[in-house]
Amino acid sequence: MYVEVANVGAFGSALVHLSPGEGFVSEAGSMYRASSNVDIDVTMRSRSSGGIMSGVRRMIAGEHFFFSQYKVTDNQPAEVGLAPNLQGQVAHIECDGRTRWVCAGGSYLGSSMLLNVDTQFQGLRGMLSGESLSFITVEGVGPLLVNAFGTITEVDVRGALTIDTGHVVAFEESLEYSVGKAGGSWISSFLTNEGLVLHFRGHGRVYVQSHNPSEFGRSLGPLLPDK
Amino acid sequence: MEYDIHSQPSYSLVEISLDPGEQLVTESGAMAWMTQNMRAETSARGGIMSGLSRSVLGGESFFQNTYEARGGRGTIGLAPGQPGDIVAYDMQGGELMLERGAYLASTPDIKTNSDFQGLRGLFNEGMFILRASGTGTLFFNAYGDITEIDVDGSYVVDNGHAVAWEPTLDYRLTRAARIRSFLFSDQIIMEFSGRGKLWVQSRNPRSLANWVHPFRNDKPSQGNN
Repeated sequence: MYVEVANVGAFGSALVHLSPGEGFVSEAGSMYRASSNVDIDVTMRSRSSGGIMSGVRRMIAGEHFFFSQYKVTDNQPAEVGLAPNLQGQVAHIECDGRTRWVCAGGSYLGSSMLLNVDTQFQGLRGMLSGESLSFITVEGVGPLLVNAFGTITEVDVRGALTIDTGHVVAFEESLEYSVGKAGGSWISSFLTNEGLVLHFRGHGRVYVQSHNPSEFGRSLGPLLPDK
Repeated sequence: MEYDIHSQPSYSLVEISLDPGEQLVTESGAMAWMTQNMRAETSARGGIMSGLSRSVLGGESFFQNTYEARGGRGTIGLAPGQPGDIVAYDMQGGELMLERGAYLASTPDIKTNSDFQGLRGLFNEGMFILRASGTGTLFFNAYGDITEIDVDGSYVVDNGHAVAWEPTLDYRLTRAARIRSFLFSDQIIMEFSGRGKLWVQSRNPRSLANWVHPFRNDKPSQGNN
């Protein structure tokens, strides 16, 4: 299995090359091209990550309930092209098994079928703030693909760093993290419309995106007819 | 005619230079700038029926503009309505199938007609696609990055991501998932077969629209603003 990432200007995408017997998982519906010897199935879970309840948790977390699963059907090489909805970069993270990766909901694009994918719901706080605060955790050895709105920058945290949740793409779980508010109090946070932040501590890598998708959505939504 | 495609693939724009007397047909609204010696003529090219067939059925504009360089070399810049890639395709008497909205411009010896896709079109982007034929250069565009794929055998593309294909390829629509797909909105895919070139786009404007949808205001507002 090898992954070619094409970061061509504003429209990043990934082409995953699979050998016979290999498989890949993606956020449902993000396949846009594939060789015909790929079986595309919609699944509620990837390998060993729970049944219906896990799917329900994913739904609460705002991530698609379903994953798409791709398997090679014959003994020929196969390929699957994956692309996100929004304009932006795609990044390939090679998980080495030493630490879990945590993806912000919506930043997960796909991963090898050998990786365990699960959802972490961040509690009531996330829901009250109106910010999407769902995490997809990825564990094991193999390629993970994430997508961003805008460009992706890798930040090597040593010490402490605070990042707005809307700008976090993924991070290594070797970092300690806690969810907090940007302002001095919940009320001031609410009034200034600053969302939630993640306080990181320790040592590990964080991928950040240049633009916040929710901000973009909130600037477009009111210009459209009401629902 | 000479051309240069700038800022590929995100914000592509094609600049075309014409010799005196040379002509270029464009989708209406595509012209971004031009030199003063370019003369434009707007017409339903090929007559009213052809214009109707192109616009109502093929998803392109009823009127097309024909630009001609007069008394010297003329230059015109064409920018598509969506940010994305532009492809220049040389035709030698052959044909090319274009998805709705993909046509940008062509030299005058290329004709465009809508092509009936049968009932499969109901589930596709439209019942009709555009068929370009003749000799010359054709420019097409799409939202996103465009990749050329050499198909030999078969290849699948998500519905809404095919941009253009050579007529030696045929396609049928199938559903991606099997039994469990009733729980999830189907991913309809186009399965191409044969031997020829296929162009796909890496983004889909409809997906973007669906993504924005939840951000719209909920309650009907009082009065207009």
